[in-house]
Amino acid sequence: MRINRRDFLKWSVAAVAALKLEMDMDKLNTVMAAETDPPVIWLLGSGCSGCSISTLNVTNPTTIEDVLQNKISMKYDSTLMAASGESAMQALENAANQYNGQFILVIEGAIPGGASKNNCIIGEQNGVPLTMYDAVLKYGPKAKYVVAAGTCASFGGVAAAAPNSTGCVTVKSLLSGKTANPVVNLAGCPVNATVMVQTLLDLILTGVPSLDSYSRPTKYFNRTVHSVCPRRETEEVSQPGKYGCYEEIGCKGPGNLSPCPSLKWNNKQGWCIQSNYPCIGCTSPAFPLNPVISVSSGD
Amino acid sequence: MSTIKLDPVTRLEGHLKVEVTLDANNAVASATVAGMLFRDFENMLLNRPPRDAAFLTQRICGVCPVPQAVASSKAVEKIKGFKPNLQGLMLRNLIQGANFLDSGITHFYHLSLLDYIQGPQMSPWTGGYTQDLRFNATDTQTLTNHYLSALQIRRKANEMAAIFSGKLPHAANIVPGGVTALPSATEITNFRNYLNDIQSFISSTYQSDVNMLASAYSDYYNVGTGYGNLLTFGVFDTNTSGSLLFPAGTVINGTVGAFSEANIKEYNKYSYYSSPSGQAPASGTTTASYGKSGAYTWLKSPRYNDTPFEAGPLARVWVSGDYRNGVSVMDRHMARYVEMSKLVSNMQTWLDQLTPGASGFTNIGDPVSGSASGLTEAPRGAIGHWLSVSSSKISKYQIITPTCWNASPMDDAGNPGPVEKALIGTQVADPAQPVELLRIVHSFDPCTGCSVHVMSPDGVEMSKFVVQPLGK
Repeated sequence: MRINRRDFLKWSVAAVAALKLEMDMDKLNTVMAAETDPPVIWLLGSGCSGCSISTLNVTNPTTIEDVLQNKISMKYDSTLMAASGESAMQALENAANQYNGQFILVIEGAIPGGASKNNCIIGEQNGVPLTMYDAVLKYGPKAKYVVAAGTCASFGGVAAAAPNSTGCVTVKSLLSGKTANPVVNLAGCPVNATVMVQTLLDLILTGVPSLDSYSRPTKYFNRTVHSVCPRRETEEVSQPGKYGCYEEIGCKGPGNLSPCPSLKWNNKQGWCIQSNYPCIGCTSPAFPLNPVISVSSGD
Repeated sequence: MSTIKLDPVTRLEGHLKVEVTLDANNAVASATVAGMLFRDFENMLLNRPPRDAAFLTQRICGVCPVPQAVASSKAVEKIKGFKPNLQGLMLRNLIQGANFLDSGITHFYHLSLLDYIQGPQMSPWTGGYTQDLRFNATDTQTLTNHYLSALQIRRKANEMAAIFSGKLPHAANIVPGGVTALPSATEITNFRNYLNDIQSFISSTYQSDVNMLASAYSDYYNVGTGYGNLLTFGVFDTNTSGSLLFPAGTVINGTVGAFSEANIKEYNKYSYYSSPSGQAPASGTTTASYGKSGAYTWLKSPRYNDTPFEAGPLARVWVSGDYRNGVSVMDRHMARYVEMSKLVSNMQTWLDQLTPGASGFTNIGDPVSGSASGLTEAPRGAIGHWLSVSSSKISKYQIITPTCWNASPMDDAGNPGPVEKALIGTQVADPAQPVELLRIVHSFDPCTGCSVHVMSPDGVEMSKFVVQPLGK
C-alpha cells in the first residue's frame, strides 16, 4: 500500500511545521520520490556488518547517497536508522505489514539455528526477544524478493565455519519453499558493492535475474577469477608479495567464480591479487577452508 | 522505579541492548549493557595455521577489520621474533590509519549525529527521538548536508586504503611478515590525492561541526563521565625501534601511568560462563553456562589492576598529551576529532617514507610453537590477541576487543562496566524519548560484533544466548 502524493505532501508539511523546520519544496519532491520507491528491509544476523559497510562504499552504478535518497526506501536498517529500541522494531513490523508482498528483504550474516537460535537476537517486540531465526521466518514469506547479502548469508561463510557451534544456517535453507521468488545469493566476503546495489535495482526493474546452481546471479558469477586474471600469463611466483601468478601457491582463482577481476573493489582502487596476495575464494560455498589458503610456507 | 529498555540500540555495529532503571526523579539508578550476538571465533581458529587468523579475525568486524589483522599478525611475528621493515610498518600505518579515518567520520556523522539533529524527512532517517533538538533550521540543514557529504568522505577513506590493502572491508594482504603490496609511484600519488581530500574535510567541515555540537551541547561535558579511568595499548609505529605515535598508557584521575600487560584479568561472575573468573587472557578458559544465576550477558569483564577502564580515542589522546580536558560524552567526540586531525597529518609523513616498488613483506612462514600477544588499537580502543601455537597449529586464541572493555558487565566485585557506569546518574528528561542514553552509549562507539567474548579453545559449546534484564 502506497500513500498518494497529496497525502504525503500534507503529512510532510505537517511534520515540517511540527519540527519548526524550514519548508523546502524541492526537497519534499525528492522525499516523495524516495518514499514511493520500492521498500527495503535490511536485517543483520550473525555477521560483521562488513556487507553493510561495503554497500555504503558503492560507486557503480551510483553512490549510496543517491540510492538512499532517490532509488530505494530503506525502511529498516539497524546500522543507519534514526529510530532505536521499540520504535525501531515497530518500524520493522509496520513496514513488513504495510508493504506485505512488495518489499525486498536483505539478510546480512548467517542465522544461528537449532538450539542456538538465541545466539542472535535482533531486538524486542512487545517485550519478547526476537531471534534472527524467527525474524527471517516471520518476514521472509512476506517479502517479494529475498536477497542474501554476502557469503555468510548465502553459504554460512565465516559465521558457520567449523565447528559451527552456533548452528548457523543459510537464508536459502531456512526459507526453502517459503518465499514468493527464489532467494538470490550475493556471495562475497563482503559482498561487492556493485553486485549488491545493481542487483537491488535489477530486482526492482526487471525481477529475479538468471541464477546459477548456487543461486548466484550468472551475470556476476560466470567466470573464474583465474580465467580473466590479468596475471594469468605472468610468471608463477613462489610466495605472496611478489608480482606474478599465484597458481602454484594455492591461489583459489582457478576454482572461484567471482567478478573481482572486472569489478574490482572500492571504486576500482584495488582487489586482492592486485595487492600481491592470492585469491582466498571468498565467494565460494566452501569458504573458509582450513587452511584458508595453502600458501607454501616459503623458500 | 521505572525501567527503560533499548533493544536494539541502533546506529552501531552489531546487536546491543541497554536497560536502565530510573529513580523517582528520572535519574538512572542502575544500568545493564548486553551484547546480543555470539559467534565463537576463538574456537573456530583452533587447529588452523597461525596465518589464517589475520583473515578470519578481520571478519569479527566489518567496521574495523584492519586492527584485527594487525593484532593477529603482530602476535605471530612476536613468536617468530620478527618485526616488519619500515616499508611494512608504514604500509600498515597507512591502511590502519585510513580505517581509523573512515570509522571516525562514520561514527560522528552517521552513527552519532542523529542523536542531536532531525535528519532528512524520509526513511531511514525518520522515527528518531525529537527530544532536546537544539539546532535551528539553518544549522540542522548544514549538518544534514554534511551527513550526506561525509558518506562520500568515509567511502574515499576506504578507497584510499584499498590502494595498498586490495580491498576494504577485509584487507587482502596484512599478514604475518608485513604487507604484500608493492606501492608504485602512481599509487603513492593516488593515495596522497585521497589523503588531501580527507584532510581538508577534517580540518574544515568536521572541525567546525564538532565544535558546533560541543557549543550547543556544552552540558554534555558533564554527562556520561563514568569512572574517568582510561587505557590504551598504543598504536602506529613511527620507526622500527618501537616508538609509537600514540603510546601505551593508563590514566587515573587525569594522571598518566605506565601500561603493563600483566595487569589484565578477565572476570565473568555476571557473564554466562562457569569457568574460573579472574584469569589472565593468555591462560583464561571459557565454559559456557547459559542461565547462570545473576548473569546477564555474554561479555566478560576485562579489568586492569582489578579496576574498570575505558578504551578509545580519548584514552589515546590523553596519554599522548594531545587532549586533556575531561572524560564525558563531549570529550569523547572532541578527542576523536583531535586524534583524527593528528593522524591525517602524520599519514602524510608516513606516505613520504614509502619507497616506490620496495617490499614491506618478508616470508616468515608459520611458527611451530610458542605463545605471544599482539596488541594494537582499533578506532574504538585497545585490542589484544593472545595466541598459542603447537605443532604449527593454533592451540589457543583469546581476543579482548575495545567494546569488551567499554561495554563489559559488572565484575566480580560488583563494579559496573564503563558504559554502565557512564549511564548511572544520568537525568532522563522524557523517559518515552531517552535520547540522553543513546548519546552516552554512542559516544563510546560500541561495536558488538567484536564485543561478544568469543569462546576459549577448550571446545565447550555454548548453545544458547539469552536476554535477561537485571532484576531490580
